[in-house]
Amino acid sequence: MTPPLRNLALCLGLLCSTTALADARIEARRHFQRGMAMINGGEFDRGVEELKEAYAIKPHPNVLYNIARAYLDAGRVGEAQEYFRRYLSFNPPDSEQVRATLARLDEATARKEQEVAVATAKPRSLEMPPPPTTTSGGAAVDAESVKKLNALMARLETAVAKAEQLATRPDPEVADPLPAPLISAGTSADEEAADAVPYEETVVTASRRAQTTLEAPNASTIITGEEIRLSGATTLVEVLRRVPGADVMGLGVGSANVSLRGFNQRLSNKVLVLLDGRTEYQDFLGLTVWSAIPVGLEEIERIEVIRGPGSALYGANAMLGVINIITRAPGTGPVGQFSITGGMGDSAFASFVHSASSGGFRYRASAAFSQADKWSRDFDDSRPDIASRVEESDLALRSARGNLTTHYAFNREVSVSAAAGVNRLFTEIYPLGLLRNFYFDGLSAYAKSDLAAGPVHLKFFWNHLTTTAGPQYSALGEGRLDSTPVSNVFNGEALWQHSFELGGRHELNLGVEGRFKRVSWSFIEGLREELHLAAFAQDDWKIVEPFRIVASYRLDRHPLLDNGRPGLAHSPRVSAVWVAAPGHALRGSFATAFREPTFLESYTSVRIPIPGVPGASALTEGSTTLRPEQMVAFEVGYRGELPEIGLEWDLTGYQNVVRDLINLSAVERVRPEDSFDPVTNTYLLGRSSFRNEAGAFTARGVELGAKFSPVDGLSLTGSGAFQTIGASEVPEDYVCAPCTQAPAFKAFLGANYRTQVGFDFSVEGAYSSRTTWIEREPSAADPTQIQFVPNALGEHFVVNARIGYRLMNDKVTVALVGQNLGPRHQQHPFGNFVDRRFFGTLTVTP
Amino acid sequence: MSRSLVAGLTLGLLLSACEPPPVIPTADRRQQGANSRIEGEILVSARSRGNVVLFLFDVNRPPPPQGTGRPVAFTFIPANAIFGASLEDTAHAGPFVAPFAFSQVPAGTYLIRGFLDAYGGTTTPERTPDFIPWYGVTSEVNRGDVGGAYVDPLTRAFRTVTLAEDAEGRLQPVSGVTVTFQESALTVVPVDRPAFEVVTDSATFSPQLGNLETNKVVQLNVAPLRAGVIDQRAPAFLFRYQDENLDGVVDQLNGIPQLWPRVIVRKLADEANPALLVDQNDRDRNGILDPDGFVDYPHLDLSTGTPVAADGQPDLVVLAAGWNPAQVAAQLNDPGGVPLTEPDPTRPGFTRFVTVPMTSLQLVLGSSAGPLALDASNPLAPAPLAVIPPGLYAIVLIQQTGQTWRLPNELNPPVASELNLPSDFPSQGFVLTVTPR
Repeated sequence: MTPPLRNLALCLGLLCSTTALADARIEARRHFQRGMAMINGGEFDRGVEELKEAYAIKPHPNVLYNIARAYLDAGRVGEAQEYFRRYLSFNPPDSEQVRATLARLDEATARKEQEVAVATAKPRSLEMPPPPTTTSGGAAVDAESVKKLNALMARLETAVAKAEQLATRPDPEVADPLPAPLISAGTSADEEAADAVPYEETVVTASRRAQTTLEAPNASTIITGEEIRLSGATTLVEVLRRVPGADVMGLGVGSANVSLRGFNQRLSNKVLVLLDGRTEYQDFLGLTVWSAIPVGLEEIERIEVIRGPGSALYGANAMLGVINIITRAPGTGPVGQFSITGGMGDSAFASFVHSASSGGFRYRASAAFSQADKWSRDFDDSRPDIASRVEESDLALRSARGNLTTHYAFNREVSVSAAAGVNRLFTEIYPLGLLRNFYFDGLSAYAKSDLAAGPVHLKFFWNHLTTTAGPQYSALGEGRLDSTPVSNVFNGEALWQHSFELGGRHELNLGVEGRFKRVSWSFIEGLREELHLAAFAQDDWKIVEPFRIVASYRLDRHPLLDNGRPGLAHSPRVSAVWVAAPGHALRGSFATAFREPTFLESYTSVRIPIPGVPGASALTEGSTTLRPEQMVAFEVGYRGELPEIGLEWDLTGYQNVVRDLINLSAVERVRPEDSFDPVTNTYLLGRSSFRNEAGAFTARGVELGAKFSPVDGLSLTGSGAFQTIGASEVPEDYVCAPCTQAPAFKAFLGANYRTQVGFDFSVEGAYSSRTTWIEREPSAADPTQIQFVPNALGEHFVVNARIGYRLMNDKVTVALVGQNLGPRHQQHPFGNFVDRRFFGTLTVTP
Repeated sequence: MSRSLVAGLTLGLLLSACEPPPVIPTADRRQQGANSRIEGEILVSARSRGNVVLFLFDVNRPPPPQGTGRPVAFTFIPANAIFGASLEDTAHAGPFVAPFAFSQVPAGTYLIRGFLDAYGGTTTPERTPDFIPWYGVTSEVNRGDVGGAYVDPLTRAFRTVTLAEDAEGRLQPVSGVTVTFQESALTVVPVDRPAFEVVTDSATFSPQLGNLETNKVVQLNVAPLRAGVIDQRAPAFLFRYQDENLDGVVDQLNGIPQLWPRVIVRKLADEANPALLVDQNDRDRNGILDPDGFVDYPHLDLSTGTPVAADGQPDLVVLAAGWNPAQVAAQLNDPGGVPLTEPDPTRPGFTRFVTVPMTSLQLVLGSSAGPLALDASNPLAPAPLAVIPPGLYAIVLIQQTGQTWRLPNELNPPVASELNLPSDFPSQGFVLTVTPR
């Protein structure tokens, strides 16, 4: 064999002879299930090996705990102690209890060793292999110790048996004094279900409590932190392309709009984005500024995407869905991690995350810097009539951010969390109408606190945004539109969770919420304030074991909903979930949802220069009498999983009927007496107002998502969505923009292959079918005629790939990432031409 | 090999890392094509006070009175930016200077005109700014306004501005353009626009091609209009022989003496045109004949007097019309039939034809050869049509000052109500109905 062929064969041999390292969660889950089954069957050694394999693929402290319990079950106390210690090294929430247990075991072992040394002649009363830490032969224990250990073993056996019955769920009550991992309910990573099983996919966003995705009443997609990191994505929105039905529209490197099931637009405003339960949706604009999110991809535990209406729990703006970004629990994961990335487009990213704990106190601190140039520029610097209004006209994104999250557990029942973050950033946003890309040079900050006291959860947060924003390019001689909005949102929420039996098991959530918004902005003529109040209730009723009904209702009081006066919005939801067979669930739901008018839509009064006519402008006005956008949704779904072969899938069909869409009207004449605007010294061509559109927009679609690990080391993720949107009850000549702007077909396929020799390979592709965007433009012949112009946009492919190499026991990872490897394309007619970029990344986890 | 590959990749990455993003225009029209800017200053020497409105015209589409072109852009310079501390001090005549700029202007040659929308000072202390660009009835100069233009400082001839590419193909900006507003008898607009009404027993005209007997005479009276934003309190017809080349000879077209005000009787669009504001073959009202979907009529071969096939080009249909020769002779000629003249104040030693303000003019619909329709798409050589197209026609007057008036206009009561304009001027809804015999 020639040297090159030999090298190739060696290489292939190395790659193919590795242990299974597929989609980490699915693969680990497979090993975990197999191991627990073996342990239940008395095959401790093989079972423990499987658990260790699961742990090697995806470390999870609960696995260590289960290994420890298995060893203890097998009478191998020393190994059990070792694994309890390893479990404790993760600073789990139940550390104190496990420490106490460990201390008792240590004490018993020490006493046993001592007694063995003293009374070697005494027969052993407990059939147990000697602990590996003992060096002498048989050890004698006193009757009390034997009794204690026997009792302990008996309880453990009961616990294990119960765990087997519950599909390997650890039960803290039965296992006491060896508690199951303590994880409280809530919406952040440290608030998973108390009965969470390692590697079982759970979702907290769908019902405000942890439940498996099989039990979730909505179509939900979970993107794990590992998936994110393996994908090589540098922005949050990139990883959302895998979500069935997600419309991800990148206009610039730092600017994107994300919608679910259509209705995407510049200033996409119908999807609620949360970070650990705190809204990232900018209420006053109706926009999520993705670049302003103060945590990095490396801090994300998982992203839960709930497709479909969420107003019944989250109120306004959770109309088409909820995206909840859940970060790693403070004090968990690596103590420190550095990461630097550099590459094309003047791109540079650097981050540091530190996480630690002491006693009941845990924290995570992070700091990061990122910057990147645009993919393409709209104007050349040499253009004599256009001036760039920013110093660095190539720059698309620059962000310096810091975040601190802390948690203190007083005991199992009472804990308090506090978090704060700040992000000083420069990015772009793309406003509506005649406006094009704006620079966004500002500061976002937040502070949040959570108090959990038994069934009561209190949450308070403050969101702040100050920015200077304006057109990146403006014509010389034209009026300027720069402004400095300042937004402060104060939100308080109380949630009470209670379980009871009444014709079945009920999980009841009752909550109240208040939000005070205060926005100062010249676009809305000064200072505006709004107070929103809400109350909500949800009952998850397990009528009989495979069948559940989830009923939710939320009442929102909005200051303008009743024709400019305070009014109420009702958001009911009823869902039925039938787990027809283990691993197979059918669900159906009916819900309504709404989106409240934003400050921009309610109060705006701004004069937009007419391009090419310096003496003219068009007035854009808000309306305080807007009705909220409303949606009635039906959804049916089937979720299935075959963990034995590593396959999970979800098939969903839906119909959303949206009414009262809020859009800008065509430009209509102002009264002649109002034609001259003394503020801008221009003549007002007309007025374009936010208004509710007549008619109904019906979106029907089918979505399929699947994850599959067919062979060891290979993980496949795929999704597809087909959708149509039609308009009814509209005038004959109505041009339906939402009907043509949503791609009819979207697909995603991703594959990653992880080897034990350190190489990781990942490639992902997303396809979006062609669209036609109806945007307003001044007529070429006469700029004072504003027309609605159809802009056809071809289909596009987004292909990303990553090659990573782990070394030094995975403490160091180097990776080469290629983004947008498909053809250069636009995702919106006014957006950048998205082009390929390559990055090199170094990650150090000491 | 692997080392060189890694080194190559690293080098490539480093080199490409600092490449600036390419410039690729999006669907936004502003980004497409090469545009440039014209900038300069206005120089105002006047005791009148007011805002200045500047218009940019394509040189091929000059404004009235030279043509009927509409501006491609306009800009506004507020009075306080021009006069500063002297805004209230009307004794001070300047000169005052303020900058201006037109941007996003495509390559081409342009004229710059403007006026000072006078609301104070010496001439019209009682007026308020009355220019509104969006309505035909409010978008021109009125009495007391001061006209200005980009002119040669010595000869006062109009100058043009050309945006052209340099040797490297880049469109260059033009700066240093000075637009002057010199208050004088020549530049101060003496009267309001020729707002008029039609006095006739019938709004219907039933011509027969070439039949002199079927010519029709209607009377146009000035119509003072004042309500809301409309302020045409002192309209007048400035009656005068045309002499564009200043040779002292009356200009003639096809042997017919040309007079101010010019009159155009233009065919309106037949299709949905409830406001009667759309001219035939100019659906978008941009002053340029529609390149497609137009109406084309057969022309008349003058040499044979027979029709020829339509030429495939859009027609700008006007009816032959002119002022009553008897009235002209009575007002503009001496008893011997010689045009009256007076000294020309701008050219010492020269004379010009007299200007007679009139409040009533008689319009003859038809020509000396009887009724005739013309295709005036080439205004220098109107071509007779083989037919007189039936339908609705508007009457447009163009004064030597560049002021115009048109019937019907936005003050037509149904239209005015819709536009929130004063709706109490029914005379402004007059439309001529032509029904050929």
